[in-house]
Amino acid sequence: MTTAEFSLPQTLQSDRRSPLRWITWHVGRHAWLVLVLLSGAFGNAVLAAVMFILIGQGLNAVLESPPDLDRLLQIALWIGFSQVVRGGLQLARNYSAEMIGQRLERQIRDELYLSLLGKSMTFHSLQPVGDTMARATNDVREVNLMFSPGLNLVVGSANFLLAPLLLAPRYDPSLVLVPALFILGYTLSLWQYLRELRPIAEDARLAFGRMNTHLAEAIDGIEVVKGHAQEVAEADRFGSLASDSRNAFVRQGDVEARFLPLLLMGIAEAAALLQALLLYQRGVLDVGEVVGFFGMIQLFGFPTFVSLYAYSQVALGMASSRRILELINRQTELDRNPSGYALPMRGEIAFDDVSFAHQGQQSGLQHVSFRVAPGQTIAVVGQTGSGKSTLIRLLNRIHDVSQGAVRIDGVDVRQWDLEALRQQISIIEQDVFLFSRSVAENIAFGRPQATQAEIEAAAGAAQAHEFITALPEGYQTIVGERGVTLSGGQRQRLALARAFLTNPSILVLDDSTSSIDSATEDQIQRAIFRAAAGRTTIIITHRLSQIRWADLILVLRKGRLAASGAHADLLDASPAYRRIFSPAPPEDA
Amino acid sequence: MSFFDGLDAESYDRSYRDRDLARRMLTYFRHHTRALALSVVMILLISLAGALLPIIAARGVDAMAAGRSGSWVIVLPLMVLALGLVIWGANWVRRRLTSRAVADVMLALRRDGFAAAAKHDLSFYDDLASGKVVSRITSDTSEFAQVVVLVTDLLSEILEALVLFVVLVRIEPRLIPWLLAMLPLVFAFSLIFRRLARTVTRQGFRAMANVNSLVKEAVSGIQVAKNFRQEATIYQEFGQVNQQSYRINLRRGFVLAFVFPVLNALAGIAIAILLYVGGLYAAAGIITVGAWYLFISSMDRFWYPVLNLTAFWSQVQGGLSAAERIFALIDAEPAVVQVERRPVPVLRGEITFDQVDFSYGKGVAVLSGFDLHIAAGETVALVGHTGAGKSSIARLITRFYEYQGGRLMVDAQDLRTLDLQAYRRQLGIVSQVPFLFSGTVLDNIRYARPETSLDEVKALTRQIGEGEWLEALPDGLRTEVGERGSRLSMGQRQLVSLMRVLVQQPAIFILDEATANIDPFTEHQIQQALALILDATTSVLIAHRLSTVQAADRIIVLQNGRILEQGNHHSLLAGGGHYADLYNTYFRHQSLAYIESARQAALSGATGL
Repeated sequence: MTTAEFSLPQTLQSDRRSPLRWITWHVGRHAWLVLVLLSGAFGNAVLAAVMFILIGQGLNAVLESPPDLDRLLQIALWIGFSQVVRGGLQLARNYSAEMIGQRLERQIRDELYLSLLGKSMTFHSLQPVGDTMARATNDVREVNLMFSPGLNLVVGSANFLLAPLLLAPRYDPSLVLVPALFILGYTLSLWQYLRELRPIAEDARLAFGRMNTHLAEAIDGIEVVKGHAQEVAEADRFGSLASDSRNAFVRQGDVEARFLPLLLMGIAEAAALLQALLLYQRGVLDVGEVVGFFGMIQLFGFPTFVSLYAYSQVALGMASSRRILELINRQTELDRNPSGYALPMRGEIAFDDVSFAHQGQQSGLQHVSFRVAPGQTIAVVGQTGSGKSTLIRLLNRIHDVSQGAVRIDGVDVRQWDLEALRQQISIIEQDVFLFSRSVAENIAFGRPQATQAEIEAAAGAAQAHEFITALPEGYQTIVGERGVTLSGGQRQRLALARAFLTNPSILVLDDSTSSIDSATEDQIQRAIFRAAAGRTTIIITHRLSQIRWADLILVLRKGRLAASGAHADLLDASPAYRRIFSPAPPEDA
Repeated sequence: MSFFDGLDAESYDRSYRDRDLARRMLTYFRHHTRALALSVVMILLISLAGALLPIIAARGVDAMAAGRSGSWVIVLPLMVLALGLVIWGANWVRRRLTSRAVADVMLALRRDGFAAAAKHDLSFYDDLASGKVVSRITSDTSEFAQVVVLVTDLLSEILEALVLFVVLVRIEPRLIPWLLAMLPLVFAFSLIFRRLARTVTRQGFRAMANVNSLVKEAVSGIQVAKNFRQEATIYQEFGQVNQQSYRINLRRGFVLAFVFPVLNALAGIAIAILLYVGGLYAAAGIITVGAWYLFISSMDRFWYPVLNLTAFWSQVQGGLSAAERIFALIDAEPAVVQVERRPVPVLRGEITFDQVDFSYGKGVAVLSGFDLHIAAGETVALVGHTGAGKSSIARLITRFYEYQGGRLMVDAQDLRTLDLQAYRRQLGIVSQVPFLFSGTVLDNIRYARPETSLDEVKALTRQIGEGEWLEALPDGLRTEVGERGSRLSMGQRQLVSLMRVLVQQPAIFILDEATANIDPFTEHQIQQALALILDATTSVLIAHRLSTVQAADRIIVLQNGRILEQGNHHSLLAGGGHYADLYNTYFRHQSLAYIESARQAALSGATGL
């Protein structure tokens, strides 16, 4: 289990065998809060029942002849006191549930994050960031809500079922009958109701979602709709989706209208009254006791009405914890090979008959072979889906080849110490991620000890110094999501500056920026050219100028190497390549 | 409800008088008058039954206190049972009726809303994010319809309280003040609490949005952090964020945890007071013990409507303003007005701007007294800096916007006199960010002419790059493009939208060329498709690519809404005017000469630094 790429020295290992065990383990760390929750809920329900008992006793005090008004006052004071205490207990219940929920949110998010940090690059390059974010924010929040209000209400209302069951027999043992039967009927009918409602509510949700998605798309594309005079067709399409949503809504309403626990509540009240009155007639109960018992039955109203909301909240929470745990438990298969080859890299690359099977969104590669000498610049060109990104990912072992071998400095990458391998290969992705920190910190991210002079030199080499100094606070300007927004080209140049500081032996650049104006294009050319100097550089590029000047050009098509060589070779060998360099605008074939 | 606080007023919003709003709302319910009347009857039944329950129980207490014996022991429970059945049954009928009425009204509103949204011209969409229109059609309609449910629920509670009130007043008016003594306190408390809750919730949301964005950043940053082995730093930062989120949420939870305990304690005290005071009256023989019990057991029925009133009020308000937003969407006047709807013959594509004035909204004039004649079949490229008027010219031809002065003619017919839908069918438009609808590539290609056969489409695709671009797609023409075409690359999306125009075979083609960088092979195929279209149509191109400019019959150089120069690429470049400047700014780096010399340029720049 110690395959994690990052871990803290002393962390407790949670029980990850099932979502229920996992949640239980986390809750178990707050045993005293659970105790407060349970006892608060129990006390709250008992005192709520006690109020009815006291009211009954108050009635009795007045019915005595002569009426015992001192006792009445005493009882009234007891009621006031008991209900204030009840408020306190209920607050304790609510607040401890809240604390459990919040602490679990913190704990689980921490565990999730730590486990994400421990997972391999392979995992992160395959796992969509949006999905991970949803789990780290929404799903974690759902687990929190499962406790407060979800389980808080479940526990609270369960105690409202329990209190009459425990207290009613004090009047007469036979009075256990109605509460017991109600609990049984309530449980069965609620279970049945939820089972019936779930698929229908899901349908309604989906139908609404479909309508909403279609609507959003149609409105976003309104220019296309109008441009093609398709307003009527779109309105028909929307109308039929809206009808589906309407029908699902009505079906759900019909199920909700037949809410059986409400009927059971009415029957229980009648039955309780009947039994109490019969016992009264036989002299077993007095007036106060009948009133007290009848009052207790009213407590069932709380579980009857609150249950729907509470149970669905718990169900949502469990579904979320399943999703989170699934992510935590997902294994990544690459071994780190810490005892492998770890010498400084010269930057010689060889692909020997490399094949990679198509996997998920990743395109495959078939029988790709080429050789790169240290310090060369390679341009990789091809259409979307031709396998350009896959090629790169085999280099730093985000994926392993299915067949053949990738060698760096003559050593199979699988024989390299993974950390040494990756540290000496720097990859600049299409979409450069910047942290919401200062420009200087972002540039120095890979070498936090870099001096300001070094940072500025790196920025200068990357042609970034000029635009950085034009920012409101220069190198101290906060960028990223919560700072100044930079253009794709500016981000790319910051990433290049980063690479100048870490000075990798192999630089991989996935370049998809486009320059609107020629001046910017000049700067990007200059920056990339300087970055390529003195190291092996692989550029996935659309720029003809870079293709033109690369030492080696790899033309990929549907996972195969369609052509490779220097510019002059390809002009001779490849008609497709020739076409893109044809000077005149293309004539139609 | 605080979700909806952020809905800002839009320029086309209007406020309706309450009476007009109510009348307008009622028209949507007019097909459901019977259902609504019936559910009102059901509500009355429910309220009555609800009020009778404590009254019957009080009767029982009286009978017991009097020591009576007899059939009441059976009759009273049977009555309680009957009330339970009535409440459940009436509720069942009511819920069924209202859910149908509500669903139908929502449907009608959504259809009207969509029809209105589709009718509005594009100037309408300039003013607001499309997401807001969407939320008016889906969320606002449902919020409005839910108001009906809320109102009926509250109505039923109020009715129940009223019935009991009348009964209780008749029993002993002097006890009423004691019964209602706490209500102002409860009302005040719930108002204060709601305000407090709204504040902490709003703070909570803001903090939450902040925390979420921090968490998102921490998650997205993992890859970069791993690249540079900086996991420990990023974990430490994450820990702080997580802790901050915990603190904020706990504070919010604390406020929310207070409500019901406080209300319960207040209710307990109120009951205690009523028990004692009522007991004194009962002991003195002024009221019966049963009546006393009735006072005690009806108290919470006065509390519910008061508590709910404070909560429901803002919801009802929310529903009304939702209704206002929907009606404003439906009622907004279209800016583009056709004076006639003449049928449109097959167009040749001759376009004439005659002294056209145009401005967006009340802003600065973009075009004034603008003249331009485009011959049928001509290819015209518009160039100029941002704001020169390129897009405006294209938009006026598409008739997405209304112009304020002059005449705009197609084939010598005034554009305002044509049947707009028929006219647009002969217009092929490709925008800068090509938009695809979710569905297959084939669906999108056939969007304007769904009747086109598969073979025709296939034949067309083979004309471009020997159909190579289709081979790159996993399922060829059957490939799902995803939402807004997200599963295709930018280049593929452009190809599909150009194919769409090829299938449509319009007379006039309008292209706002994309600036995205596309791999050279796809780029080549795009140029091929473009060439096919340009041959067959009158084309107006907002050009960003050198190859496109070079392919135009005539380049029109624009500045501040005026034509500075016209001519072809070589003559204009040789002239050394504004076009030469534009060329040096936007097109130079696309030239082959630049491509050939890029390395030298980079080298000299690098050493010069």
